[in-house]
Amino acid sequence: MHLDLSELSQLAPIFRELFKGYHVSRRDPELYAQLSNFQDQYRTLFKALGFELVCDTRGFYYFVPDLAAAAVNKTAQRLALFTFILVEHLADQGRDPIAVLDGGSLGREELPSLLDKYRDLFIQAEVQTVEELEEKIMRRMTQLGFASEENGVYRFLPPMHRFLDVCLSVQQDRDLAASVHSVLPLPAPVLIDEEAEARFLATDDPLDLSEFEVESDEESEEDALARAIAEEQESDA
Amino acid sequence: MIEPKRVLRALAEHWALLEPLCEHFDQGTLSLNELRTQLAAQQLDSTPQDITSLLDVWIRLDILVPVAKSPNRFELNAQIHDFLAYLRREHRLGLCLEIEAYLRHLERLAGYIQDAFEIRDGNDLARQLRLLDMRVRDVLKKLDNDEQALVAVAERAKTSDRQIPLRQRYAEVLATWDEYVEPMIELVNADGAFEQGVRKVETVLLKMLSEQQRLGHLVDDDMLLRTHARILEMQTSAQLTLRHARELLLPLREEARRHNAVTRGAALALAAIRRKGIDAVPQAALPLFTRPQSTFLGSASQVEAYVYALARFEPKPARFPKAHKSPKSGDAPRAPRTVREMVDRCEESLPMPDLMTWLLEQEPDGATDELLYWFSRLSREKRFKRERLERREYHTHEHQVSLRSFALLSAGPDAAENSASIPNAS
Repeated sequence: MHLDLSELSQLAPIFRELFKGYHVSRRDPELYAQLSNFQDQYRTLFKALGFELVCDTRGFYYFVPDLAAAAVNKTAQRLALFTFILVEHLADQGRDPIAVLDGGSLGREELPSLLDKYRDLFIQAEVQTVEELEEKIMRRMTQLGFASEENGVYRFLPPMHRFLDVCLSVQQDRDLAASVHSVLPLPAPVLIDEEAEARFLATDDPLDLSEFEVESDEESEEDALARAIAEEQESDA
Repeated sequence: MIEPKRVLRALAEHWALLEPLCEHFDQGTLSLNELRTQLAAQQLDSTPQDITSLLDVWIRLDILVPVAKSPNRFELNAQIHDFLAYLRREHRLGLCLEIEAYLRHLERLAGYIQDAFEIRDGNDLARQLRLLDMRVRDVLKKLDNDEQALVAVAERAKTSDRQIPLRQRYAEVLATWDEYVEPMIELVNADGAFEQGVRKVETVLLKMLSEQQRLGHLVDDDMLLRTHARILEMQTSAQLTLRHARELLLPLREEARRHNAVTRGAALALAAIRRKGIDAVPQAALPLFTRPQSTFLGSASQVEAYVYALARFEPKPARFPKAHKSPKSGDAPRAPRTVREMVDRCEESLPMPDLMTWLLEQEPDGATDELLYWFSRLSREKRFKRERLERREYHTHEHQVSLRSFALLSAGPDAAENSASIPNAS
């Protein structure tokens, strides 16, 4: 594909924003128009640079970070938790969560009651005060392009669909549903694939003793865990 | 018989009073007192006697009928109610079963028509054909009514208050889908009752047309052709109604389902987090994004603090060994051994029956981690060929170590290439 850089007039700001983890949506009309007009060009260029530009048809653009480099961070967990809480809170109030999270708004004055009601959950995300809620969650949301704030009103932007998708995938996750109704531990999230694991083991460090452990013990830790889970499942059944 | 003119005149004359009542009657019945209150509210200058006589007229004309077993409660005569609903375009969605019943009747009529034709009974044939034609009109009327009703269902769902829960807002849509659209899809299916009925009637009519050519006319061909055309119109109309219903309701139904799924997913995730902590949600499900702070320099106060710290930087005092203090023999810290030194010493001791034993002899006071380091390093050395020994225990200065040691031999030039890549073992 032939790339005419003169066409990509917003390349620098677009790259700067996407690189920061920002989601470009219609709220940034210039950047959004550029991206949607030259979507293929931008995608090709970024791909050549090692960045995967995602063009979501619901109206937003973002970079998928390199899987190995992007361990899911606390921010993602916090924002997801906040979305879950908000969906439940709105549904409890008889409001339509999707209408709010898909282009709707939330007043800043609603935050304290939200924090009060879900204090036990917010604590897990290390959020204990309204200031922390604003700092660690709402500010992050605006920084990443999930929401915008104006005069004490947070308006949610199309990228929120990424979190609504999490709700949907959780809903379809039978394992999770089963785990809520059972006493079994949740399946441990897999962060590194097997190849990566093998790569980590193949080290030149003479002090690396991991191989010793594997060969010396009758079963590896992983096998032991798998066996324990199987036993527990058996006894449960 | 009630004289139609009088009924129509009464309806026209009292329409201003009847129309508001229609809405009440759509919801249910009214008691005599409620009726009187409603009418009095609309006609402020009327006396109770006027209202009584008005109600009398309506009851006499069968516009109002008493509810069965509750003589003090009234409702609109069902026929009048339907007529008014038709005029007001207030369509109530019928049942899919009604259409199915009509179609079964059509099939039966086709059978009667065939019988009448076979016994050459012209009168009965004409009567049955008329019945068939009227029944088809009934179906058409019903389909049209249902289509209007479906539009109203969708409109109500879309225009109702956005603040009420979607489950309530779309309850009617979901019920309509389950009770009307879904059975209609089955009905209009290629092998459903609709197609079967239509096909049967069509076959009978077409057969009759050709038979009439042969055996002579019992009824006018036009009548048969008209009925046939109407049957086909009914079929098209049913398909259109169904398509329209799907177009109207499917997006709403999907929205409601999506809404339910999102709400359920959020509740499920929260339940899991409550029980197992924030890591309960599978990380794979979470969106990935680069950290926004990674390229940030930091806040102004952080920069200020950093510069402040730089300006007042004080190095930690370095301690140098004092020249006048001569080291006492024995407790001087020994210089660490270099790899070359160790490898050379090891090479000199070849062949070595047990590397670990040799190490312990060489460094009886060595720390365990250091000994293990040398064990690992020397056993991988390309200059040596190694053979694994049985597991046994060794006692270092501090620990008891269980491992499978190696016997070391001098390696030939070929073996030196590979020895380093063989996995190490204890």
